[in-house]
Formats: sequence, C-alpha cells, structure tokens
Amino acid sequence: MNIFERLSQLDRRIIFLLVAIAVIVPMIVPLNLPVDITKPVKNVYDKIESLPEGSVVLVSTDYDPGSEAELYPATEAFIEHCFRRNLKIYMMGLWPAGSELGNIALNKIAKYYNKKYGEDFINVGYRPGGAVMLLSLGRNFSDVIKVDYQGIPVDSLPLGRRVKSARDLSMVMTFSAGDPGIIHWIIYFHARYGVPVCGATTAIMAPQQYPYLSSGQLVGLLGGLKGAAEYETLVERRGRGLRGMDSQSIVHLLLVGFIGLGNVILLYQRRKK
Amino acid sequence: MMNTIGIWIGALLTLAIYSFLYKDNPFYKLAENIFVGVSAGYWAVVLWFDYAWPNLFEPLFKKGQWFNIFPIFIGILMFAPLIPRISWMVRIPLTFTMGVAMAVSITQIVQGDIFPQLQATFLPLTGVSFFDAFSNLLIICGVIFTLIYFYFSKEHKGVLGISARIGIWFMMVSFGASFGYTIMARVSLFIGRIYFLLHNWLGVI
Repeated sequence: MNIFERLSQLDRRIIFLLVAIAVIVPMIVPLNLPVDITKPVKNVYDKIESLPEGSVVLVSTDYDPGSEAELYPATEAFIEHCFRRNLKIYMMGLWPAGSELGNIALNKIAKYYNKKYGEDFINVGYRPGGAVMLLSLGRNFSDVIKVDYQGIPVDSLPLGRRVKSARDLSMVMTFSAGDPGIIHWIIYFHARYGVPVCGATTAIMAPQQYPYLSSGQLVGLLGGLKGAAEYETLVERRGRGLRGMDSQSIVHLLLVGFIGLGNVILLYQRRKK
Repeated sequence: MMNTIGIWIGALLTLAIYSFLYKDNPFYKLAENIFVGVSAGYWAVVLWFDYAWPNLFEPLFKKGQWFNIFPIFIGILMFAPLIPRISWMVRIPLTFTMGVAMAVSITQIVQGDIFPQLQATFLPLTGVSFFDAFSNLLIICGVIFTLIYFYFSKEHKGVLGISARIGIWFMMVSFGASFGYTIMARVSLFIGRIYFLLHNWLGVI
C-alpha cells in the first residue's frame, strides 16, 4: 500500500484533531498575521466618523448565543467606537436573547467610558413582531416601545424622550444572524423611512448582503469574525475578533491543503483504474 | 460563584458535544437532550411572556379589551385538525395569517427590494474607470445570463443554451463564495468555543 492509498483510508478523526490543533496553537502562541481592511467594513467606520457628536445610533442585536462567537466581538468594537465619538446608543433586539447579549457589551463598554444610562445609552430589550413591528416603530416609537428592558418607562429617560420616530435616528446598525434581521431593516425600515442601515452578519449571511451594498441600500457590512477583526483594527482594539484571526487563517490554509490533497488522491485513483 | 458554576457547566457541555467527533457516547446524548429540553422551555417562556400575555391575555383580563377574544378564538382554530370533523376550520386562521403577511410584504418588497435591486443593475459602462466599467459589465452579464437560465418556456438550445450555460457559471461562482463563507462561519464558531474553554474556563490565554 503506497502513500496515496494510505491517505485515502485516513481516519477522519485525524483531520478533526489537526483542525483542533490549528485553532488552539495560534491562540496560545499568537502569530499576529496582518488583517487587511475591506471597503464594506471601512464604510461602517467612515459612517460613524461622519456623524456629529450626540447623534443617535439605533443598535439592534438580532442574534442569539449560537452566533455569539461571530457577532459579539463586532458588537463590542462597534459600541466602543460609538462611545469614543460621543454618540448616543438606542439598543433593541429582534431576537429574545440578542438584547441580553447586547446589554452585556453595552454595560461593559459604557462603564469604561463613564456613560450614563438613560442619557448616553438605553436598552429597550427584545421587541417581537418582525416586519409589522418595524413599520410601526419608524412611524412612532411610543406605539411599540413603552418601557425599557428593566420595565422603566422610556418617557422618563432623556434619550427615550428624544427618540420619537425614525427621523430622530442618524443610522441603524444591526448585528444579524438570520430572520428577522438585516433584510427586515433594509426592506421595511430603510425603504420606508430612509434611515441609513449598516450591518454585521454571520459569515454565512454575508454574500447575500452584497447586492444591497452594491445598490446602496446597505452602507457598510461586517461579515463574520473577519469583519469584526477588521473593525477592531480600525478602532485599534485587540478583541476576540483579532485574537481569532490567526486560528482562522491557519485553519483555512489547512483546509485548502486538504482539498488539494483530496483531489490529488482522486486523480491517482482514477488513473489507476 | 454562580458565574464559575455557569462556566463549568458550559465547558463540560461543550466537551460533551465535541466528544461526538470521536464517536457517539452517553455524554453527547446527555448534552443533546439537555439542549433540546432547555430550548423548548426557553421558547415556551418567551412565547408566553413576550407574545401571548402582553398582546392577548393582559389586555383582555386587565384592561377589559373583550374583542381580544376573537384572535384567541382564531388561534385556537389552529388546533382544529386534531378533531377530524372540524378539521376544515384550520383554513380560517391560515387564510387570515396569509392575508396579513401578504398585505405587509408585497408593497414593501416591491418598494424596498425589487425596484432598488433592478435600479442597481442600470450601471454605466462609459465615463468610469476601466475597472469599474468591467465590474459593471460583469454585474449586468451576470443578471442577464442567470435570468436566462431560469427561462423555461423554450428549450435551452443554441444561443439560449449557451447563455443559460454562462448563467450556470455565474451561479457556480456565487455558490462557491457562499460555501467559502460557510466554512469560515463554522470555523469561527469553533474558534469561539475554543476561546471560551481556554480563556473563560482554563484561563490560559
């Protein structure tokens, strides 16, 4: 039995083990591989830089723990950028667990920048209803949102009183893992009320958003963990996105190697037949 | 203390799930069943406290909005197929749901999706840089050839066949990009779990 025949019968658990090693080793011994900035990510950064201080950004955390690994690092980096620029954050979530995850990031970064709840940021929690809710929300926030996630009336909070309709928002940033999510913000909110929409999506969803980038319906996009790593580079913050990129790159190289090897073995077997 | 217990439970369940990669075992089955049970319980609580209670029952019982009886009645009809004699009544809530969904979606999808996307394919080929002109040409050709592939009223032969074949190539490139992103997503999730184990649980990074 030659090397090709042995490889063709390789136990797949060895491949799992190699992938695990390729993820673990670069995390313990960082390689600090460079991360190039792509235009969709730069567009999100530039949009935030272009907003005047005190502008209100609606952040919608439309994901759950299943996508936390991809979207939470981007959430932290984006919130940090907003607070550095003294922007106000109005947070909500179209997914039940999303607003809880967003709240962790919001409180962590707000504490660091001494931001005050109710004045600089607010979290109105999970808002069910998808498309119908978004259409009502843009017209009149008080039709949909009466209390925040703690049950405090939003009218008793300065930021809650300030945001009456979509006109009071400078942009929407959605961290989206599916439905309802980024598509709803584009089709129902941006199309009806004209508020610029940026997004961070799971990598699986990212290719579907490129037509919206190309049409200008979406200003910018952070695609998966790579998008988070790019944003962390732009805001000069070494978070989980950048820490994961070394592993991501090494695993991709390994997989390209496996695909190449698999094809060589296939060609050998065909020639032998 | 509670945080530490949570991290330990998370770490052990993560290892139990990944143990399936070696072979099926009772630890994997235990973690799988816990996941299914917790998910079902979680969604039951969300559906009651975020949907049913604040929108239906609270207005009915606390604010006296008696007309909420009608949506409750229509909702109950969803269970009509359980009684064969009145199973046809399920059509009432289904028709209602479909009607509302269509009414909300149609205008917005035309206004917010179809028209802007159609508009985005009217791209200039002159008066822009060579690279932009080439990119625009690719988008225009991609849209036209892919649409031709989905034209089934004439047999795909001759010019139509060649055009449809080019449409397939465009779609294959698109599928390849999607597949690449899918791999990246799966690896990212694995990285997230490993980060949790090494950072939150073991504290080695």
